[in-house]
Amino acid sequence: MKHLGLILIGFVMLYPVLWMIVSSLRPDDEIFRSPGLILDSLRTENYAEGWNALTPSFGTYLLNSTILVLGCIVGNLVSCSMAAYAFARLHFSGKRWWFGIMLGTIMLPIHVIIVPQYVLFSQLGWVNTFLPLIVPKVLATDAFFVFLMVQFIRGLPRELDEAARIDGCGHPRIFLRIILPLMKPALATTTIFTFIWTWNDFFGQLIYLTDPDMYTVPVALRSFVDSTVATSWGSQFAMSVVSLVPIFLAFLVGQRYLVKGIATTGGK
Amino acid sequence: MFEGVHRRTALTVLLSLTASLLVACGSGSDAGGELTAEPVTLRFSWWGADDRHKRTQQVIEMFQKKHPNITIKGEFKEWNGYWDSLATTMAANDAPDVMQMDELYIASYAERGALLDLNEAKKHLDTANFDQKALATGAIEGKQYGVPVGLGMYSIMANTDLLAKYNVPLPDDTKWSWDDLKKVGDQVSKASGGTVWGVQSPGINDTAGLSIRARQQGKALFDQNAKVVLPPEIATQYWTYISDLAKTGVAPPPSVTIEKGSAGLNMSATATNTAAFGLWWNTQLTALTAASGAKLKLLRLPGESQGKPGAYYKPSMFWSVSSRSKHPAEAAAFVSFLANDEEAAKVLLTERGVPANLKIREAIAGQLKETDKAAKEYLDTVPVSDPPRITPKGGSTLDAILKRHTEDVLFGRATPDAAATAFIKEVQSEVDAAR
Amino acid sequence: MSALDELRQLRHGGVQVRKRDNRAAFWFLAPWFAGLLFITVGPVLASFGLGFTKYNLIQPPKFIGLANFERILSDDRLHNALRVTFTYVLVSVPLQLACALGVALLLDRGLRGLAFYRSAFYLPSLLGSSVAIAVLWTQVFGSDGLVNRVLGFFGIAGKGWISDPDTALSTLIVLNVWTFGSPMIIFLAGLRQIPAVYYEAAAIDGASRWSQFWRITLPLLSPILFFNLVLQIIHAFQSFTQAFVVSGGTGGPSDSTMFYTLYLYQQGFSRFDMGYASALAWFLLLIIAAFTAINFWAARYWVFYDD
Repeated sequence: MKHLGLILIGFVMLYPVLWMIVSSLRPDDEIFRSPGLILDSLRTENYAEGWNALTPSFGTYLLNSTILVLGCIVGNLVSCSMAAYAFARLHFSGKRWWFGIMLGTIMLPIHVIIVPQYVLFSQLGWVNTFLPLIVPKVLATDAFFVFLMVQFIRGLPRELDEAARIDGCGHPRIFLRIILPLMKPALATTTIFTFIWTWNDFFGQLIYLTDPDMYTVPVALRSFVDSTVATSWGSQFAMSVVSLVPIFLAFLVGQRYLVKGIATTGGK
Repeated sequence: MFEGVHRRTALTVLLSLTASLLVACGSGSDAGGELTAEPVTLRFSWWGADDRHKRTQQVIEMFQKKHPNITIKGEFKEWNGYWDSLATTMAANDAPDVMQMDELYIASYAERGALLDLNEAKKHLDTANFDQKALATGAIEGKQYGVPVGLGMYSIMANTDLLAKYNVPLPDDTKWSWDDLKKVGDQVSKASGGTVWGVQSPGINDTAGLSIRARQQGKALFDQNAKVVLPPEIATQYWTYISDLAKTGVAPPPSVTIEKGSAGLNMSATATNTAAFGLWWNTQLTALTAASGAKLKLLRLPGESQGKPGAYYKPSMFWSVSSRSKHPAEAAAFVSFLANDEEAAKVLLTERGVPANLKIREAIAGQLKETDKAAKEYLDTVPVSDPPRITPKGGSTLDAILKRHTEDVLFGRATPDAAATAFIKEVQSEVDAAR
Repeated sequence: MSALDELRQLRHGGVQVRKRDNRAAFWFLAPWFAGLLFITVGPVLASFGLGFTKYNLIQPPKFIGLANFERILSDDRLHNALRVTFTYVLVSVPLQLACALGVALLLDRGLRGLAFYRSAFYLPSLLGSSVAIAVLWTQVFGSDGLVNRVLGFFGIAGKGWISDPDTALSTLIVLNVWTFGSPMIIFLAGLRQIPAVYYEAAAIDGASRWSQFWRITLPLLSPILFFNLVLQIIHAFQSFTQAFVVSGGTGGPSDSTMFYTLYLYQQGFSRFDMGYASALAWFLLLIIAAFTAINFWAARYWVFYDD
């Protein structure tokens, strides 16, 4: 019974996605004729056409996105966990203020930061590289993940730290040996989300990557749609489906770590 | 803890940022100078979809073959992202050397000093073969800020298949009025029992329509001093017409109109064979024919014979050069290639509109498809008047403002009268704010 | 000093501990500080400064004092945008979190096909900010879309939900709720962290499922719930892409989907008024900061930390 309900909800939730997948196999002029899911005519050329529609071909964009994403994931995992440990476990002067500032950095909309930031990166000569997009991650500017990890760490009992302290561990050891392993769900979450958000992030990549050879998936996908001319929707959907595959796979693989969970803490 | 270091560093960063914003360096070399033999890299940006990107990149390669020392880096985006990116790069003094420019924005950039006066580059960019009326559309106070790429004209597209199906005779487009359009649209709606609408609703992406209405009665949207001189009565008339069409079932109901309006060309009423008549630019004939699969005919606008013709050549887009380009001469040479070279034209064809360069227009005539030929013929034969004043700086949101008031009228949130007054007031304040 | 003395000092948070922590904190926070100084602070201060100028991105900024901030008070379209945004935040965030928590609880333990369900419920979030959403949403909520066809089945006449000013915002709220995948995953991760022994012990003691939820799950999940609440609120206030894509960048029809950041974006990039946009951004920051501060203050009453 539970399954029936879940399947029904699942179908409703997935309907738009299913429609997009089905439409990617339809010829352009049939796509908007019906919201149904039944395929009347199969047209797989959308995929080939979409792949080759822009120069360079879509493979380049997938590659670029992958490189960017990997850099961002590593950056986030390392720097955010360190910052989170400090906020969650250490006492230091002005901690409240710094925490507030950290949260504050995510409260400003990107649209007003982007222009001064672009000027800054332009002067550094970083425009049209992945640097403006990766370096901020290496420097823990993703306060979302810092905060997430802080909450996780605070949920871990302090007795573990203290036990390690008595055994003679300093903070780095405590961080690496005790806290990090217990934070696997938070780390997995960070990885999955960084992957997905970076894969889908449009505005920053639009502004900083000027050379089409450097384009990433979201920028390339938008290039298919231009309101001033006829859009090849079939190709666009086909490539959208193609770009969904990596993030979906990333999610499938990553969620196993969420499933693994943590062994019950033995020290109690 | 780090206050001292923190404050000093922050101040330095802030100062240097501000300094870079304040620097408006002039261009490196002279636009009228000789072309250098040194290796030069130019950045060239445009908007469009995949078909345009492919063609343009072909043309770039052709130019690079002719000028081996000049490398062109092509950057393309879709419409919205293009303007965001252009504005941001301008702010950082990083704008592309050659850019595709639109009539809606050209004054906003030109009148703030961002674009080069192409008259200075006459040595490398010859505009003699251009339709002079068309060329005037890219000039503000005698300075040529852009070379028109293609031209379009506002027109009515009639779905002759639908008309035949419902036995509605094709109206005589040399004499008809706006009321005639309403009448024949009504015939279609009634004959089809409501399954097909007569006229796709005006008012969305329809600044040209409003402008033409005004011009037919001897008025205009803006005067030479960028003041809004549209009489409120004409605006009221415009929205009353739109409201009537919707109320009497000649045009689709408001929410359908809005839906189709924001969905792009492929989902419009004309493209889905659900309206017999629609206001379109003649150059969209090819795309609409492909999308609808029907036979579409270009008709003159209603009301043209009652007074002065309101129709005009609208430049589809311009080629402009950045005033801060370090290589203006080479940039001008590239623009000349884009605009004057026959081989390039044979690749670009009418994807950006029917060429404004008359010589090129004839050169490619043989290669055109049926629909493109029809568009070209329309351009060659239908009478026009002088173009209206370029949309002044501050008017870049004109389309959006018009759309919003149309929505208000259609959904009954404002009367045509109120919308007219509000519209005029809003546009004027936008233009004033930009001074 | 002996281990016991150290422990005593730890518990009392003496000065020596603070000093040691300061140094450790410096190293742990070093990347973050660097990021703050070199990448964040400059642009943030610049955007604040720009709020006092008239800046069209092409010519240098011109100082105009408080004019932009005064304009905030009298800008009707802005007030409409505030209304739209507040409605969106106050309605969609609770709904979204409720769905996320509900489904996370359903999916937490021992269900067959768990991985499949989890992926199915997360998939919409992957599409949430793509340009295809506009088309997809029209296919569902448009005049000829799925919802109306289903309603027609039951004899109810539908309408164009997206293109009617009265209902357009609701479709965006539904869109936000539809993409509950992210908070759901975070809830799942949080649920994973609750040791099973607690539930086993409670079951042995004869506690009901509801009691277990109320007494074990909620309190132990509260840090995560708090996190999701704070961040989804911040996120909702800054919501941009969905409104942009679904309304075609216009915030229409009739400004009914004109979110605050969409309005801000239009001011900056379409109207070339980056000065006013910057002022608007800082005003939004104040609003978000206020909400967040209230959240943090209220947290002491319902969020339970084990430290």
